[in-house]
Amino acid sequence: MSLNLSWQSGRSRRGTAAVLLALIFIVSDAHSGESPQRATMPVQHRELFERHCFDCHDSATAEAMVDLEGLSLDVSRDIETAEKWAKVLNAINSGEMPPPDAQPLPDEHKKAFLKDLSEQMVLARRILSDTGGVITLRRLNRREYANTIEALLGVRPDVSNLPNDQASSGFDTQGASLFMSSDQIEQYLAAARNALELAFSPRATPDATTIRVEPEEEYQERYATAAAEMRDVRDRATAFLNQDAKPASEFGFLDEYQAKKQSKVEWLPRMDDYLNRPETKHGATLIMTIKQGGYTRIKLPVLRELQDGRYTIRVRAAAYPDARERLRYLEFTTTSEAGVQRLGWRKVNAPLSDPEVVEFPYVHRAGEKKQLVIHQRSHQDRADKNQNTIDMKANGIGTPPGLWVDWAELIGPEPDDRRDTVLRRWLPEKPESSSEKQYATSVLTRFARAAFRDKEPDAEYVDRLVGHYLEQRESSQQPFDAFLDPMSIVLSSPSFLYMLEDAPETKAEPLSGRELAVRLSYFLWSAPPDDKLMQLGITGALLNDTVLREQTERLLRDRRSDEFVRGFVHQWLHMDRLGMFQFDGVQFPTFDNAARELAGEEIFQTFRVVLDEGMPLDTLLKADFIVINDLLAGYYGVAGVEGHYFRKVAVPAGSPRGGLLGTAAVHAMGSDGQRSSPVERGAWVLRKLLHDPPPPAPPNVPMLSRLDGDVYSARELAQAHQEQPQCANCHQKIDPIGFGLENFDAVGLWRDREVLDKRGKFGARVRLADFEIDPSGQLPNGTVFQDYSELREAVALHSEDFARGFTEALIGYGLGRPYGFTDQELSDAMLAEAARHDTSVDAFVHALVQSEVFCAK
Amino acid sequence: MKYPVSRRNILRSSSALITLPFMESMGVSQAARAAEASDSPPKRMVFLGIGYGVTADRWYPDRSTTGFDYQLPDLLKPLARHQSDITIIQNLMHQYSADGHSGSTFWLTGANRYAVPGQSFHNTISVDQVAAEQLGKDTRFTSIQLASDGHSSSGGDGHGPGSSLAWNRFGKPLAGLTNPVATFHRMFSDDTMPLAERKQRLQQQRSVLDTVLTDARSASQRLSQSDNRKLDEYLQSIREIEVRLSKEEKWLSVEKKQPSKPLHEPNGSLAGYEEIRIMYDLMVAAMQVDASRVFTYRMPANALIQSLGATMSAHTMSHFSEGERRTVSQSRDTAHARLLAEFIDKLKASKESDGSSLFDHCTIAFGSNLSSVHSLTNCPTLIAGGGSDFKQGQHLVMPHPKTPLCNLWLSMLRGSGIAVDSFGDSSGVIDDLFG
Repeated sequence: MSLNLSWQSGRSRRGTAAVLLALIFIVSDAHSGESPQRATMPVQHRELFERHCFDCHDSATAEAMVDLEGLSLDVSRDIETAEKWAKVLNAINSGEMPPPDAQPLPDEHKKAFLKDLSEQMVLARRILSDTGGVITLRRLNRREYANTIEALLGVRPDVSNLPNDQASSGFDTQGASLFMSSDQIEQYLAAARNALELAFSPRATPDATTIRVEPEEEYQERYATAAAEMRDVRDRATAFLNQDAKPASEFGFLDEYQAKKQSKVEWLPRMDDYLNRPETKHGATLIMTIKQGGYTRIKLPVLRELQDGRYTIRVRAAAYPDARERLRYLEFTTTSEAGVQRLGWRKVNAPLSDPEVVEFPYVHRAGEKKQLVIHQRSHQDRADKNQNTIDMKANGIGTPPGLWVDWAELIGPEPDDRRDTVLRRWLPEKPESSSEKQYATSVLTRFARAAFRDKEPDAEYVDRLVGHYLEQRESSQQPFDAFLDPMSIVLSSPSFLYMLEDAPETKAEPLSGRELAVRLSYFLWSAPPDDKLMQLGITGALLNDTVLREQTERLLRDRRSDEFVRGFVHQWLHMDRLGMFQFDGVQFPTFDNAARELAGEEIFQTFRVVLDEGMPLDTLLKADFIVINDLLAGYYGVAGVEGHYFRKVAVPAGSPRGGLLGTAAVHAMGSDGQRSSPVERGAWVLRKLLHDPPPPAPPNVPMLSRLDGDVYSARELAQAHQEQPQCANCHQKIDPIGFGLENFDAVGLWRDREVLDKRGKFGARVRLADFEIDPSGQLPNGTVFQDYSELREAVALHSEDFARGFTEALIGYGLGRPYGFTDQELSDAMLAEAARHDTSVDAFVHALVQSEVFCAK
Repeated sequence: MKYPVSRRNILRSSSALITLPFMESMGVSQAARAAEASDSPPKRMVFLGIGYGVTADRWYPDRSTTGFDYQLPDLLKPLARHQSDITIIQNLMHQYSADGHSGSTFWLTGANRYAVPGQSFHNTISVDQVAAEQLGKDTRFTSIQLASDGHSSSGGDGHGPGSSLAWNRFGKPLAGLTNPVATFHRMFSDDTMPLAERKQRLQQQRSVLDTVLTDARSASQRLSQSDNRKLDEYLQSIREIEVRLSKEEKWLSVEKKQPSKPLHEPNGSLAGYEEIRIMYDLMVAAMQVDASRVFTYRMPANALIQSLGATMSAHTMSHFSEGERRTVSQSRDTAHARLLAEFIDKLKASKESDGSSLFDHCTIAFGSNLSSVHSLTNCPTLIAGGGSDFKQGQHLVMPHPKTPLCNLWLSMLRGSGIAVDSFGDSSGVIDDLFG
């Protein structure tokens, strides 16, 4: 059957209509699991084109070189055709066509046309991106590169100069999109050399020491000096203002205005309050200041490049009885040239009368120079300063402090023989009997074989490596230094940087055991196989289904599978949105850095629990438990959760939590940092939970400027999308789902009313309006819901759609290529297999790993 | 030591794709340089990419006032003293751009990200690199890429994927110098290593490339055809390094020239506004000593607004509505206008030997692929300088709202004496720019 159809052929030959009908049938079947061959525009829209477009855009006229008459109906015929249709879509979407002086498209026709075309475009994009099952040669992505170097050398390389492979969409495991450039090769050489130097630099692990920091030594004096200076200013200003004879300059002021302003010494009570606390004589109360350096910080000694190892931080601290919930935590951070990095949080419960000692583990990596700093929980912006000013205006002092710290200790490093092991493994002593050349050959062959994941290096290649070594030795380098060049070359060679798989003689030839071991470990660990897995690969034992299953299970149970959980889930659920907007800390006082970061962590931890405990996949849609720690419990208002570790907690009666839709992260991702966005949330639910992705948002849609300056509820704003037919077409499907989530504010906390406010002085919120929330809506299939809980129930009924979406994502991530229609059979089989195991997450993983596709090139 | 494999043999045999398209003459072009010294001052190009766009409703001049007699919008007032030397062009865009967070990835290329089936990312050569192939032949640096870091911070700077504004012949990203200190040393600090040692180091670097190619060859023998196409990227990259090394060798014995007014190493903590200012100074100095003739600068966005006192991220700002976000957005626009005006001042003040100024021979393009929020139409475009013999001082509104931005890039190339038939999806030059 010829599918090279166009309006022209449809016009002249009646017989074509039947073919088109058949095509329409195929297309309308697209969601039922059949493999559609083409994305095709239904013929009924031809009339619309004839009436409204052909005057200018028929083949004869082809104004602006746009010939719609000759445009194939087969949208997915080739990229060129699809691009032409995309232009039609954009032109009508943006209102550019038909032009203002032409007759407008009737709303109903326009809507139907745009609906069909945008759906066919989604389909066409998928068809055209289908690789036909080819798994392209994969370069180690940035995560995998760092893990692989670490597995070999025991040190983590600095990868900040390598491209972040997650930026180019899809999954960062997709070979076709992982590019290479000359700068990158130079970066690989430099990063490898750096890591080798750190790994091999001769140094003994220093004895563990304990360094104690007494914060009062810094802060007593600093705050007392500040208080004295403020008093001095105040006294001089008062003296000046109480007389008329001498000019302001004699009192150290520019003029009367300045003197009056400074006479207020607004922040003196803050200092006095601090200094009057007897506990600050032998410790530090954690306060916020405006001009005295912000937070009170406990600074531990700087750890240098070669002081790597495991350390323990101990802090003796106590909480004030009236402390606000978020100020009951210590925030552990490091500062370095690269900026501030947050390590974690610990809650302090003990009263001042009986302080407690809190411990925090820290691993210092070789090559890094960092200072550990402890302070109260922080915000992304200057909200803590603003809040302090707002509190000062109210209580005369400032934000009441939460914690007091007696001292902090840094203990370590713990004895660690890992470095010696690495040294001995790669640089054994030269046997007296062997020549320099023999020695280098043996060292470099072994190193290259390991780096190449047990692929034997080419003899000529090894010869050249040895040549580099000998050349360095001739210029009087020590053996250790002379190995740096050839070894960094190894770590920048294609056999290391790419996951090479031998070309099959015939199509779909199975992978070798070794290749399978590599594919499996990069899938589940984003790292090379360990010795055990590699051995099973080399001997071929891994090719046995049972062994493969056992190993898959072992890898999943190993902590290294966190790389899979994080790498996969983060990209699958588009969690990068969590970091895209900044949240105003005064508007959302409890959604600080800690809450935001741990809200993301909650998603990973929840997935981990569902995976580890073999729960059905749709537990993620609805669950009677949440996976949180003390800090998130405080954020959600769940009582009785002590300790920083994440664990399963039963959802309290009446709480909206449980399942992905109950997490703060998902709602924060569906906001712009200020307001909830029913559109973003609705689209996310359709994409990630219901497996019914709406077409991508068209670019260049003008903002609804007529709404500027007026105050509307989020629901009203979203409904404005539906005024115009080109918007209504998608938004009537997207927005109503978002309405059901409107009881969650921009940071995922429950609200009964939508409050709209704006920023005032010191960031304080000024209320503009508030609205009743109407959480009713409907799913695209027509299921009506009245509120959030009914929405969640309705979504939970779609566990099969959810599983299909999950399966497709898993295939894309695990096989390293975009999911394509050729994978339909595989996903059907995986779904069926998983269904036999109660759809537990590991069953999906096993089904993929055991599939012929995974085990073949 | 003798190695039987020659690099070039491998390159020749591995794939037809490696056609060495920008193979440079290996001979030292002393003669060319000598000739050039007596000629008219060289043409130069500067591309300034700002990432997240502009406050669109107030940045563009009134559409009803085109031509030479138009009112410069308030946001651009700092540029008023140069109004007759700049031109603002409306209605330019890239037809394929659809990513509302990439202001720089396709700005200088106009490529279709999805042009290659099965690949989620594709790009093509950027206009600066086309220019550099000709303008950069006789300078120490074929082109200079500046790319402020901090791009990975919350929401990024709105530049999108890439390492700088520049993309090579194969559509792969070119790295940039990320800060003023590194830029200063690269352009003006001489290597303290003795010449003989530097020669030896180059030789070693070549030898390193030969070794990795040995591995590439043995790997390639066992790969399928499609995998070999992927591995070609690696081989192309090696080839590029070789070209770079050859050029370095040519310049090895030539000392780096110092600008007439010597520069000091910049303060390492400069960020945002001050960083842009010093980067402009470094570009002016590099032009004075003719270190390069093609410059791109992927400018900071987060750091810029933060240095202006904002506490929000650039991405947050870009989603402006009435209120603080808009205020920050507008202050960013004006800061850029002020900095650009200073840059033009300095270029005008720098004289060539014939009494003309650097500005007279330079073409500057300032803008982004994003206009505002997620909009990719009417890309903000401001050009300046006499390098392309453009009729400056205009406000142009292209008759067609989707005029290819590549038409401007083509106009710049041709105006600067680079004979190319087309660039990207260009449909022609912008006639109004030419007298």
